Amino acid sequence: MRAEALKGHLDGILLAVLEPGPRHGYAIMEQLRVRSGGQLDLPTGTLYPALHRLERAGLVRASWSEAGGRRRRVYELTPAGRGALDTERGAWSEFSAAITTLLRPASLEPSAP
Amino acid sequence: MSPLGAHVRPAGLGMPGRGAPPDLTDPQAERYLAAVMTRLPGTARHRAEIIAELRSGLLDATDAYRAAGLTAEQGCRMAIGEFGDPARVASGFHAEIAAAQSRKVAGTLLLTGPLVGLLWIATALCSHLGVRFAIPWHHAGAAATEAGLLLVAAAVAVTVCAVAVSLGSTGSLTRWLPDRPGRASAAAAIAGFAAIGADGLGLALLAAQLDLAPGRLSPVPACAAAVASLARILLARRAARHCLALRATLS
Repeated sequence: MRAEALKGHLDGILLAVLEPGPRHGYAIMEQLRVRSGGQLDLPTGTLYPALHRLERAGLVRASWSEAGGRRRRVYELTPAGRGALDTERGAWSEFSAAITTLLRPASLEPSAP
Repeated sequence: MSPLGAHVRPAGLGMPGRGAPPDLTDPQAERYLAAVMTRLPGTARHRAEIIAELRSGLLDATDAYRAAGLTAEQGCRMAIGEFGDPARVASGFHAEIAAAQSRKVAGTLLLTGPLVGLLWIATALCSHLGVRFAIPWHHAGAAATEAGLLLVAAAVAVTVCAVAVSLGSTGSLTRWLPDRPGRASAAAAIAGFAAIGADGLGLALLAAQLDLAPGRLSPVPACAAAVASLARILLARRAARHCLALRATLS
């Protein structure tokens, strides 16, 4: 899955990855790989600007934290981010249901009366 | 490009545990980060923060490869490959940097506007111009002065609108607004130039008053207002140009 195919959905995907709890940039990338079964093909460096955009929109909150002698910028969902994730999920369900129906082979269509 | 390490590293290795080595600065990593850094516009502080975040990500990625059995040097090379082309990574930040700068400029104009405005109003009220609060310099009376005041009001109105657009396109409203890169920078630049217009007109009116009847002016507030407007003209000019330059970096 290339970055272009993700266009328009990356924000929702990032919000979903952050839903269970706060994560730093690289951990988010790892989660994207794990949860997509290795299907996601995105240069790690491009993830950070997307996170900054979400932060600016107030959907995530970022703070520096230190662990194991390393400072990391940790992201977590804001209440607005949770709301946006719900909206994104609803929109995607509708969209994917419609496309699934449209792409169904004609042989499976109920025959016209 | 594909993540080079996809086949080497077990998926879901997670972040390095406790006892991870301190942030060793690998020369390759530093060269990579420097390549990103030189392509980032914006303030030194903003750039340093971005690079610090990328550095910790790069180190985390290197650790993950090391945990999968690679040497530190190989791991770092893989991590760099995974992060992607420095130009592409840097360009991803351009919109964010432009937005941050626009917001800063718009916020500064919003804060300084009332301050400078109050100094001018104080000048008008303290001076013996026979003013009423609503129409400062009314006494000067000449049509040119009145036209000047109307222009000041128009410039202030444009500044306020442009500041609102700039703040609106860079804050939490971006959740609902279509993402149009460059809008905030353009609005911030317009706000800056309009503020320059308002300040310049104020100074021109002051010069006219000095020419007509200098004795009527109260010197302290007049000087304070003039200095404040001059300072703001210089700052706004620089800031507006900077916003336009950042806007030009957006694809």
